Amino acid sequence: MSEYLRQTNRKNMAKEIFDKVEAIIVEIQAAQPEGAEAIEQFRIKYLGTKNIIKPLMGEIRNIPNEQKKEFGQLINKAKEVAEEKFAALQAVSVAEAAQSDANSIDLTAPGEPLALGARHPVSIMMNRIIEIFTRIGFTIAEEREIEADWYNFTAMNTPEDHPARDMQDTFYMRGIENMLLRTHTSSVQARVMTTQKPPIRIIAPGRVYRNETISSRSHCQFHQVEGLYVDEKVSFADMKQTLLYFAKEMYGPQTEIRLRPSYFPFTEPSAEMDVYWGLKDETDYRITKGTGWLEILGCGMVDPAVLENCGINSKKYTGFAFGMGIERQAMLKYRISDIRYLFENDVRLMKQFGRAF
Amino acid sequence: MRTSLNWLKNYLHIDLSPDKIGEILTSIGLEVEGIEKVESIKGGLAGVVVGHVMECERHPNADRLSVTKVDIGEAEPVQIVCGAPNVANGQKVLVATVGTTLYPIDGEPLKIQKGKIRGEVSMGMICAEDELGLGSSHAGIMVLPTETPVGKAASEVMNIEIDYVYEIGLTPNRSDATNHMGVAKDLAAALKINYHHDGQIKMPSVAHFKIDNFTLPIEVEVVNAEACPRYAGVVIKNITVKESPEWLKNRLKAVGVRPINNVVDVTNFILHELGQPLHAFDYEAITDRKVIIDTLPNGTTFTALDETEKKLLETDLMICDGQRHPMCIGGVFGGLHSGVKETTKHIFLESAHFNSKYIRRSSMHHNLRTDAAKVFEKGSDPNICLYALKRAALMIKELAGGEIASEIFDFYPKKIEPIEIKVNYRDVNNLIGVKVPKDKLLDILQALEMEVIEQTQASFTVKVPTNKTDVLRPVDVIEEILRIYGLNMVPMTDNIRMSLTYGTHPTKQSIRNLWSDFLTANGFIETMSLSLSQSKYYKEILPYPENELAFIHNTSNVHLDIMRPSMLFSGLETILHNQNRQQVDLKLFESGKIYYRTTEGYKEEERFSIFITGKRWSESWLFDNDKEVSYFTLKSFIHNLLNRLNIKDYQSELVQNDFFSFGMEYFKGKQVLVHFGKVQPSIAKAMDIKNTVFYADFKMDTIFNMLQKSKIKIEEPNRYPSTQRDLALVVAQSVKFEEIATIAKKIGKKLITSVNLFDVYESKEHLGESKKSYAVSMIFEDAEKTVDTKEVDKIVEKIISQCQEQLGAVIRR
Repeated sequence: MSEYLRQTNRKNMAKEIFDKVEAIIVEIQAAQPEGAEAIEQFRIKYLGTKNIIKPLMGEIRNIPNEQKKEFGQLINKAKEVAEEKFAALQAVSVAEAAQSDANSIDLTAPGEPLALGARHPVSIMMNRIIEIFTRIGFTIAEEREIEADWYNFTAMNTPEDHPARDMQDTFYMRGIENMLLRTHTSSVQARVMTTQKPPIRIIAPGRVYRNETISSRSHCQFHQVEGLYVDEKVSFADMKQTLLYFAKEMYGPQTEIRLRPSYFPFTEPSAEMDVYWGLKDETDYRITKGTGWLEILGCGMVDPAVLENCGINSKKYTGFAFGMGIERQAMLKYRISDIRYLFENDVRLMKQFGRAF
Repeated sequence: MRTSLNWLKNYLHIDLSPDKIGEILTSIGLEVEGIEKVESIKGGLAGVVVGHVMECERHPNADRLSVTKVDIGEAEPVQIVCGAPNVANGQKVLVATVGTTLYPIDGEPLKIQKGKIRGEVSMGMICAEDELGLGSSHAGIMVLPTETPVGKAASEVMNIEIDYVYEIGLTPNRSDATNHMGVAKDLAAALKINYHHDGQIKMPSVAHFKIDNFTLPIEVEVVNAEACPRYAGVVIKNITVKESPEWLKNRLKAVGVRPINNVVDVTNFILHELGQPLHAFDYEAITDRKVIIDTLPNGTTFTALDETEKKLLETDLMICDGQRHPMCIGGVFGGLHSGVKETTKHIFLESAHFNSKYIRRSSMHHNLRTDAAKVFEKGSDPNICLYALKRAALMIKELAGGEIASEIFDFYPKKIEPIEIKVNYRDVNNLIGVKVPKDKLLDILQALEMEVIEQTQASFTVKVPTNKTDVLRPVDVIEEILRIYGLNMVPMTDNIRMSLTYGTHPTKQSIRNLWSDFLTANGFIETMSLSLSQSKYYKEILPYPENELAFIHNTSNVHLDIMRPSMLFSGLETILHNQNRQQVDLKLFESGKIYYRTTEGYKEEERFSIFITGKRWSESWLFDNDKEVSYFTLKSFIHNLLNRLNIKDYQSELVQNDFFSFGMEYFKGKQVLVHFGKVQPSIAKAMDIKNTVFYADFKMDTIFNMLQKSKIKIEEPNRYPSTQRDLALVVAQSVKFEEIATIAKKIGKKLITSVNLFDVYESKEHLGESKKSYAVSMIFEDAEKTVDTKEVDKIVEKIISQCQEQLGAVIRR
């Protein structure tokens, strides 16, 4: 065979191969597979491990050197066209499938019935108060509820026959003398001060009891948080600062407080703290006695007699203490009108606290 | 305590508004809980004016009516039709103008309207006494003195008093402020320090008191001077017991005291003016003209003023006559026979100082919480007795006539002197936390009538007035200073003083929260029940040794007579409450305490209880929603809760107690962690609960203790693949899964990482009577290399043979 002929043959062959690839490209572009199955067939044919483009790659040896580059590019183009086409087919197919799912499934039907539970409002409120005080270095102290008279009253400067005992109706235990249900968490002060040395900086959350008729406003059981800080030179100003911080954390940064002189046997001077609540509606008038001020807690400087009763040198140490009710604050916050709701455990009410902070 | 503003004004010049005064009282520790406007006549006669009858003619259409023209100070006289027989030309009368509301003594409020009476226009009403609420007379219209100015408001002409009464929540330490004089003094101090007031107090004078004669002598013997440190008295002769004048009745009514007669009213007035309780005896009723102050034997009877018979205690201090017959419980309550009656001619007036402890005991025991008792209990001022006695005697002479007919008897063997207290300036400033300027401090003391008797650079010494019985120590003086200085004057900064203290971790509260939040995320609701429960449950439903129950002595509610010894009934009560409200699918938990009694005293233990009942899921289209909660629902929560706290390697046993019809108990050593299971149907039934209830009871004290030692070891994930083998074992009904798992773990040792039960199959037909098939899966892993499957096969063969040998298992292949 003459060189010319050979060359012509090669050229013809090359053209034939080029044409084949071109034809495949046209075929790919023209293909319109419908449905997942046909698309899969398309993929196998042009992009699968045994696709029809691959064998043509082998023909490169029959392509004249000066055309090899061009041929490579053409093969690549074929692959790219197949990939693009497949991607486009797939996208349409997914969208169609989704459309068909959306039509066949009722997406507005409810999800699995995983119920949301709820903490108790008293727990929520108590945790909030604990969080506020632990942030400024108070640690939690917990103590017994069936308490000896001494810790509840005598140590707290309320000896027998003291008129202040009238202020609280006490449940006494039957069988063992001088045992009672603590009437306030102040008993924890005595427990802590008789066992720890200053500096003492505690809060004592817990349940307390009063022998009162159960009504919408009063209950025989409720919860308090007590606070106590004893160290050298602790002052009334320190107490005021701490309680202002509490009030602002609890009731918002704009909260104003006022202190009123009051009386507790275990603090001297004693005070009650009000926060400004406002007079927005009837309820506000009722709960603030028309003053706009709402009583939140009782506080004062630990009476020297209490320190001495507990074995702490009152010449060296001073301290402040405070106590607040939880239920009252929970009722204010959640606008609960009747304290009995808090211990009735009606789930229709309690469930709603799943959303509470 | 009710405090009248007008009454305070008797002693103190006040020009601030009633609201402002209320605010100041609150700021000095006399908390105003309410302010009430009091008018001596309802409505205050608003709209009623003085009129002059200019014309008066017979009504053309009615014989008994008159048509009048009355000048009421306006441009034109008004025409009024009047039915009173005594109406006449030229009279000065009281006219209720159109629009006025009258509050007659009897009947409904009456609004005056413009109208026509039998054809004649009537523009108001000429009033009678009863129509105005001024008295009971309806004899005719009120006719005023001719010089009364026309058009003047009736409230001025008739001296209608408008007063503001403060309801003060008096704290027990304020013995000085039980009365108007005391409140006035405290108010004066505050006004002087903070409101540029002169602080002057006008004490009513008793300088003109004198003894008229000695014609009615009396003898007094104080036997128990401990109970009665001072006893003073005087006899007043020839008095006339009658109604008190309006001003006195108004004062008493304002503070909530019912006027009785002039003598009793004066004693009540003095009580509320000076804080000194007085008692007036009918002189004729004092046998032998002798008063003996002593206690009487237990059980002595005494007929009190309210006609009840009291059995006396031997600690009741009695005011007796010469025959030792009780006339009065001293300082607490009067007697029926010795009191002042309408017929009383002569009185013996007592002004004494009693020991507060005696008063308190008697007043509490006999449930006689009188104003006098309350005042004595707080601690009255022993040095005001004579002043109060003289002031009362003068008032009685003025209102009831009579003569002072005996010397003033005054038993006061040991004069109670004002106490002296030395206070360091440094302590004042340290305790308050702010430096109070010395001169301001001294001003406050002076305003409080605390005389400074000594002063050094570092300290001052004050004499405390004897009416401040609660001021005994330097800290009490500081309290008085701070009170008047103003609690709200103590400045605040942006810093907080804090001493470092250290706590333990984790705190109990954080554990409670961890568990609670886990459960609420799983649909549980936290409940809070009463710690008080009823012993009936533990007698009738779930027997409990009575001597181990913590009984409450003074409960008035039989449903709350013990402290709960378990959480069970708290939960069941909750379930019942909700069941009765159609809420039957419940997942509940409660963190709380239980209480019981031992020979060593009362014990409290912390518990965490879980109650589930009803449907596992609420209705859903997604899956079978008929499935009820079961023992295994509960068990999975229990395992997750314990896992969350890294509590493992505990032992378990079938539970044997009265709570459960079946259940398990987990324990470590001798310490029980939790028991749980199905509540005995008999208990549920006794509580009227219809559904099955599953209950778990964690002993938190044990769990908290374990956490102190808890260490967590994290293992790196195994890099080598694991292998799973499944077995189907046919075993007798009595064989427990735990037995199979124990065998597997024992043989598989380190290689076996988990054993699970994934299917249970029972069929009489295929397996035979009392047989079951357990499908068990086991995961094998090796930390060092890919697990050797041949070794695994060997282990599985061994497990099979051991199960056959020990449990009589048959392998289903």
